[in-house]
Amino acid sequence: MTTVRKRSVLSGMRVKEAMRRLVIRLSSDQTLARGINHLIKFKAGALLVTDQKESPCGVVSKTDIMAAFYGGLPVETRLGEIMAAPPLFCYPDEEIEAGLQRMGEHRVHRLFVQGATSDAVIGTFSYPDIVGLLYRYCSTCKKGHRRASAEGSDENRARVKEAMTPFVISSAAAAPISEAIEVLSAHTFGAVLLTDIAGKPAGVISKTDLILAFHHGCRPERPAAEIMGSPVLSCNGEDLLADALREMLIRDVQRFFVHGDDPLEIKGVLSLSDAARFRSGTCKACIPSRFIGD
Amino acid sequence: MYARDIMDHRFHTLKPDDTVLEAVKQLYSASQAQGKKIFGLMVTDEEDRLVGMLSMYDILLFIQPKHIHIWGEMEDLDPGDLFDERLESVKRVQVKDLMSTDLVTVTPYTHVFRVVDIMIKQHMRRIPVVDDKEVVGIIYRTSVFYSLLKKFTDAPDIGE
Repeated sequence: MTTVRKRSVLSGMRVKEAMRRLVIRLSSDQTLARGINHLIKFKAGALLVTDQKESPCGVVSKTDIMAAFYGGLPVETRLGEIMAAPPLFCYPDEEIEAGLQRMGEHRVHRLFVQGATSDAVIGTFSYPDIVGLLYRYCSTCKKGHRRASAEGSDENRARVKEAMTPFVISSAAAAPISEAIEVLSAHTFGAVLLTDIAGKPAGVISKTDLILAFHHGCRPERPAAEIMGSPVLSCNGEDLLADALREMLIRDVQRFFVHGDDPLEIKGVLSLSDAARFRSGTCKACIPSRFIGD
Repeated sequence: MYARDIMDHRFHTLKPDDTVLEAVKQLYSASQAQGKKIFGLMVTDEEDRLVGMLSMYDILLFIQPKHIHIWGEMEDLDPGDLFDERLESVKRVQVKDLMSTDLVTVTPYTHVFRVVDIMIKQHMRRIPVVDDKEVVGIIYRTSVFYSLLKKFTDAPDIGE
């Protein structure tokens, strides 16, 4: 009997090929202020919290700090008071697909990579790292990206609209920051679109903007417009996925808002996480290879 | 010879709420005023207590794109415009967001060889000198080196 097994470009690749080797760790008695400092300085999404014996005991993410900001906690609060426990791990020789599956099951955006012993944490594994790997794969693939470019044909290449999340979450720019946090908390998005009185895009607030505001002593009652990033970075849904990813990677942004013919009509979001979940390369040459018969 | 003998009494400081843009300007003006390259500054609170250190390295680390390892594989890339964009994002960041808070200090009475030991083992270019919580000076690696070198070259048996 022939069975069909689903494969992706990432099949067979190991965690160690995509992981980042920088682990930000702080002890549980350190303050949120110190945690924010480390998250911003090292551009990390979460930090590993350790106990008195320096063993990993929890995780504090930007989302956790955002919740502390919303709840009115002071920045002097200890990391141990808000951390999620226990930390979730994967292994350097584990298949990327298995790691992605674990991230999906636990609804987290990263895993810590465990070394030879349970206390040895040697890296982090997150969606944006996988996008980097996918980009590398596509840029060297002779079947897809390069051949299509050489032949001047984009027909078989994936478009942004195929990988994006086809809706957006938004809040009014004049509304309090707390409202933007509520909108963010209700979804698994990393940023909220802010709109002006006419309902047009005015700016964006990301979780990074929120933890910076918290660190700077801003109150959640202040208008969201005071801390938003502007202009809204966007692309067309018909743009090539590879081009959009390239732009996101080199501009150091986590997401593009996606518009149609009218740049002021935002229809979706393409985040690095979306691109990682797409799990294919950036052209249709990968699709046939995703199904193989055993 | 002790820290007090080689420390620099002239130093510039930053405040935690200063913007990184202001810190860059301060680094430049400190270098101008002291006639030497200043690679990092002390950060003090409203009571002049040391709360952190901000170095050029901290700022460069932040400006550097996160996915820089992939850049080498991107052809026809013009970094000029992108770098301007990065600098724009830095404007919203304050000194306290990037400063190092793992502080190593010495007192004016710390022996110079202890200072050298700290600098070598912890790869430090500068060490704040703190007396009863108050910053009283800073010791640069170059100051230590030339102070010791002068001592050695002044000895009668050197070079004979």
